[in-house]
Amino acid sequence: MAVVAAAAGWLLRLRAAGAEGHWRRLPGAGLARGFLHPAATVEDAAQRRQVAHFTFQPDPEPREYALETQSPLPRNFEMGQTQKMNLFQSVTSALDNSLAKDPTAVIFGEDVAFGGVFRCTVGLRDKYGKDRVFNTPLCEQGIVGFGIGIAVTGATAIAEIQFADYIFPAFDQIVNEAAKYRYRSGDLFNCGSLTIRSPWGCVGHGALYHSQSPEAFFAHCPGIKVVIPRSPFQAKGLLLSCIEDKNPCIFFEPKILYRAAAEEVPIEPYNIPLSQAEVIQEGSDVTLVAWGTQVHVIREVASMAKEKLGVSCEVIDLRTIIPWDVDTICKSVIKTGRLLISHEAPLTGGFASEISSTVQEECFLNLEAPISRVCGYDTPFPHIFEPFYIPDKWKCYDALRKMINY
Amino acid sequence: MAVAIAAARVWRLNRGLSQAALLLLRQPGARGLARSHPPRQQQQFSSLDDKPQFPGASAEFIDKLEFIQPNVISGIPIYRVMDRQGQIINPSEDPHLPKEKVLKLYKSMTLLNTMDRILYESQRQGRISFYMTNYGEEGTHVGSAAALDNTDLVFGQYREAAVGAAYAAKRANANRVVICYFGEGAASEGDAHAGFNFAATLECPIIFFCRNNGYAISTPTSEQYRGDGIAARGPGYGIMSIRVDGNDVFAVYNATKEARRRAVAENQPFLIEAMTYRIGHHSTSDDSSAYRSVDEVNYWDKQDHPISRLRHYLLSQGWWDEEQEKAWRKQSRRKVMEAFEQAERKPKPNPNLLFSDVYQEMPAQLRKQQESLARHLQTYGEHYPLDHFDK
Repeated sequence: MAVVAAAAGWLLRLRAAGAEGHWRRLPGAGLARGFLHPAATVEDAAQRRQVAHFTFQPDPEPREYALETQSPLPRNFEMGQTQKMNLFQSVTSALDNSLAKDPTAVIFGEDVAFGGVFRCTVGLRDKYGKDRVFNTPLCEQGIVGFGIGIAVTGATAIAEIQFADYIFPAFDQIVNEAAKYRYRSGDLFNCGSLTIRSPWGCVGHGALYHSQSPEAFFAHCPGIKVVIPRSPFQAKGLLLSCIEDKNPCIFFEPKILYRAAAEEVPIEPYNIPLSQAEVIQEGSDVTLVAWGTQVHVIREVASMAKEKLGVSCEVIDLRTIIPWDVDTICKSVIKTGRLLISHEAPLTGGFASEISSTVQEECFLNLEAPISRVCGYDTPFPHIFEPFYIPDKWKCYDALRKMINY
Repeated sequence: MAVAIAAARVWRLNRGLSQAALLLLRQPGARGLARSHPPRQQQQFSSLDDKPQFPGASAEFIDKLEFIQPNVISGIPIYRVMDRQGQIINPSEDPHLPKEKVLKLYKSMTLLNTMDRILYESQRQGRISFYMTNYGEEGTHVGSAAALDNTDLVFGQYREAAVGAAYAAKRANANRVVICYFGEGAASEGDAHAGFNFAATLECPIIFFCRNNGYAISTPTSEQYRGDGIAARGPGYGIMSIRVDGNDVFAVYNATKEARRRAVAENQPFLIEAMTYRIGHHSTSDDSSAYRSVDEVNYWDKQDHPISRLRHYLLSQGWWDEEQEKAWRKQSRRKVMEAFEQAERKPKPNPNLLFSDVYQEMPAQLRKQQESLARHLQTYGEHYPLDHFDK
């Protein structure tokens, strides 16, 4: 209950803060501080506290993805009718499309019936019925185990884990059951129609248990796919691909982007391929790789590098963590000779280590400098120290500068 | 009704059986066959009333401080049809199964027993790596399976997944029940709690079948739980529950048959706790003489064995005799040996298949690893048991 209340609290704060990644001062937020500090510093401190560490940048249109109805893939296609959607709305749109065309599809998890603590399932229960969009008891291992069972019968199961930080009770179900279902039965059975969605990543005030990025734990698990979008347009296409993919998928949704990221998104369904990284900006001197929110950070770092150092950066969004697109990353590093990988999750054992290790195996002789990883520190995700913890643009810029000067 | 009475005694409800009955029996007539809304209706909110208004429980106030005493001395009674000599106790409970069906039950249990002996021996001889026998529990498997339809889904463990499958079967109007088997040890896992709770709240047509055989490897039930076994947990989740004599194949059959009928008709879970005894070791890696007496094992083997009890019934019906017994033993041994030898002759699948079915499609990186193993075997193949595998 406390968790739900806390989540609802963020929901309200997110709404009050508005879109576009900049956070306005909340009325009353400085009251407690006012007792302890002089008024002038309270104002400054509160404002500094609430400025986001990134600016969401939508991709330029048009995009190179086909609407479902069109095949083969045309070069510059018509997106069809679009609507301005933020990230949670693009998720709702994907779920709506799924339930509309797949009568077996069901959505379940904690609090999804009223619309979800992040509003991702608003309106779906009314539209599709309470047997298709329903609450479960508060039990993550149950949610995932139950979802596996639905998927085993061939129906489409879309499970929500309220925060990625809570996915660990379901770890056994994901790793020992879902991931191994097809393999252990010699393809007699599978739970490929299972998708697990979960809010992920830092949000400014999430602290230890509402900020985690656990993708590295799952990267070590053959049999599942892990996907992380950077924007509403990417989210809808990738989520639809996950739902339709014939393997169990985990779809992490950067919660800080739920409201902060908004752009034109097609109303009709469309797919963005899994296990394909995207070069969102071409460059020649250094390759920058990230996923989720961090893509916007490194994009800004690329601008800073151009402006201050005259350095041309190639910016890549990995998108699928496993199975990951080794070829695109290596192709880029062969061209640039330098690689910087950045993620919020802690440095040791983080997914940057996997990328780094593979790239040095495949591209050793092309490297001009050691591969750089700019990540969270090896601590639990802190509360008040968040601004110091996260791998912000200054840390990335500094690491890039050192790489150039190596 | 027996469950309600026992439960009422346990919880000492002052309001008599009516409240307990409503919660535990969920008579189909009261709410129609398929329950479409939660059992506890929101009470009309009235501040003038002195009745409790809490959304979380439907109960009366009490002004005396009293803890509910869990009753483990006089637990939920054990339903049985036959006595230990295979005689029907209450004729109205006799399922009156036709001869062919009862013979099929008997032959299934004895064939299983024969297979167990041969495979256990083969492990001792090093011909297979590992085996777990069913000694003493044949009645639970065969009795329950006989009560199901051919299209029903069977999960041997995976409690939460079983519930999900049942939910999907309900949505598909498939007329299937899901049955999930587990032991009293596995019932301690969080999975069981999750499975029970989800099955009840989401109204799933599922039978939870617990084989309580007295041991989880070496751990006796006294170290596994302190309550009245597994059946007593069911009502805590709002689940219809029963305890049966697992060594009485007719009792198992009757309970499963009725549970199946109602689970599908009413979309609700059922919990059957089949009491039995694990006569064999936990597995070929276990020697149970380390933690229990030979006398205890012998008692169950000689005095209360599901196969013996059914054989007594067959003999008393004139449907079986010593000659048929001898012939069947020979025949079942031969069946198992033939199947075993045929399986033993087959080479194992090609090592390439190590990499299949991780995903529906093989990812590029995995294909590279597959090729790497193939190259490795080309050079170092002599160090690997390739002769036993398909080329």
